[in-house]
Amino acid sequence: MTMANDDKVTLRAVPAAVESVHGAWVVQLPRFGAEGTHYHTYGLLTPYFKGLGEGRLLGTKCVNPRCPVSSGSGELWLPPRADCPDCHQPMTWQEVKEPRGYIYSYTHVERGGTGLEIACPYYQIDVKIDGVCTIIKSYLLDRRPIKIGERVRARFRTGPEATHTCLDLCWELE
Amino acid sequence: MITFAPGNLRVPRWTRPVYMVAAGTTDFRKRYPEKKLDELCMMAFRMLLEENDLRQDPLEVKGHINFACYGEFADHFQDQLLCEAKVHDYLGLDLLPNVGIKTGGATGGSTMLMGATTVASGMSDCTLVLGWERMDEVKTWTGNYYIASAACKEFETRLARNYASYYAPMARRFQEMYGVDERVRAEIAVKNRGYACSSPYAQQPGRHTVDEVLGGEIVSDPLRFLECCAMSVGSAAALLCSEELAFQLTDRPVRLYIAGGSHTLRTGDRRPMRILLLPHETEEGYASLYRDMGKQDGRWPGFESFGATRFAAYMAYRMAGVQNPIEDLDLVETHDAFTISDLQTYGDVGLTLYGREQDYVTSGDCYLKNPHTGKPGKCPANLSGGLLGTMHAVGATGIFQCDEVFWQLQGKYDRFHGDPALWRRYGKEKPADWTSLQVDDPRRGLAISHAGVGSHVTCAVLERAW
Ligand SMILES: [Zn+2]
Repeated sequence: MTMANDDKVTLRAVPAAVESVHGAWVVQLPRFGAEGTHYHTYGLLTPYFKGLGEGRLLGTKCVNPRCPVSSGSGELWLPPRADCPDCHQPMTWQEVKEPRGYIYSYTHVERGGTGLEIACPYYQIDVKIDGVCTIIKSYLLDRRPIKIGERVRARFRTGPEATHTCLDLCWELE
Repeated sequence: MITFAPGNLRVPRWTRPVYMVAAGTTDFRKRYPEKKLDELCMMAFRMLLEENDLRQDPLEVKGHINFACYGEFADHFQDQLLCEAKVHDYLGLDLLPNVGIKTGGATGGSTMLMGATTVASGMSDCTLVLGWERMDEVKTWTGNYYIASAACKEFETRLARNYASYYAPMARRFQEMYGVDERVRAEIAVKNRGYACSSPYAQQPGRHTVDEVLGGEIVSDPLRFLECCAMSVGSAAALLCSEELAFQLTDRPVRLYIAGGSHTLRTGDRRPMRILLLPHETEEGYASLYRDMGKQDGRWPGFESFGATRFAAYMAYRMAGVQNPIEDLDLVETHDAFTISDLQTYGDVGLTLYGREQDYVTSGDCYLKNPHTGKPGKCPANLSGGLLGTMHAVGATGIFQCDEVFWQLQGKYDRFHGDPALWRRYGKEKPADWTSLQVDDPRRGLAISHAGVGSHVTCAVLERAW
């Protein structure tokens, strides 16, 4: 499973089948063959996962002027949330254009659990994206020694390559 | 910046005090094919009833029980929902009420917390707290996958399917922020696995060296194999009761205070807040820490601290009247599932200031005998062998930690670790170089039970009550 000579990480992911039910993506996760499939809804976060497959990174922010934390001009959240945890009102979607950030922390994963779709070894990274208040966990395409603070830019798996999971967002060193 | 409203910080006030009077456990193994799960639970239950010098016969003691709280982390491992019902029936406790408790790695601690509230509220006079895990019915890396199912399914689990990799970035940040030498983390593994050599219950005792830990295979860097706990099988139990019953049953009852905290599962979602101060801390004490955090884009609790642990300690110290943990506590059990979680916890529970955890470990105060001075350490940690050396049969862990503190307070460490018959019970020989780890005349101890990168934590203060 190790492909240490390659300088880029690859995936062994099979695109998850999705169906749209009442506007929400329901992703099918086969566990024990077709009979054992779990149907997991992305619910109100459907735009996020759709966005990844189109090469777009969408976050949410609270614009409720009565919100005790955001006062109507909330920072962007990624992972997104449909509802604000501070005032419980629906949040608003906003795209992060040409997403860039820096490596807030990381680990070099030498071996993952059963079913891991990312080819080991690779860097799992926590990315502080410019203009986003939370920090998103993801993975790095590059396979060379890295440091906290290094700048990265987003890459997406789109079109027929898209897995319709969080694996559709990854990063490479700038 | 998130701030608490006054109601959020209300310190729990129990209607009645809660006492622990007995403890029981199995030994812990990576595989335990000799016994079914319910049979293992019976071992812990029988030990609790029969071997704690209670003043009544086992069946009389059993006759006081009117509630049971059961801890189990994951149904996945055994492919069996509602093990609680099977265990409860097997222990012969039908038709008493029972509840199952599930808070990830903190399941054992939360089971103690729930058990305590049944006594504190008057719902129960005598509650059995019992927990277990049976992680040997799947392959290890499938077990890792199951455990990692406790991470966020949409945004994290697929990024490793191995829980060590969700702790590792915390270790990396902590290391960078406070300039932690890897040898300090390795020292924790050496100490706790070394203490496990005195325990007949221990799954992974070992006399290792710092270099051996650092030379080991990496699981998810910077964490190496000997810095991570292993899959475990086993069960542990505690008996909690009211004051009146406690003094009827034993001449060495232990008072229990326990509180919990919880935090977001995704480390990156931890928005900054002001440090919740423990009774002995001041804002000025953290002025330089806030300045340092500013320089490195640090946040509290962020990646470097466990806010839930601090919250639980904040509550438990005020319930128990602990003014200064390093002075008031005589021993602690931290949840050292990974060396880093042990290290981080010292700041969270206030044994040292945040940012000085490394110095605290190297000071030697977390040893039974301070290796630098040869004198007793101020607050020895994980004399049980901890999760690294002894076990992490998750649903049992937090209960087992309280058991070990309980026996220490009763002065029974040697009895429950040094009796050759006990070693033989588990198919082992008591080692020739066995060392007593009994703390000299302890009054108060602490046990931390801790889940997924700090999502749930309980803090239990146990206090000698005679
Ligand atoms: Zn809001």
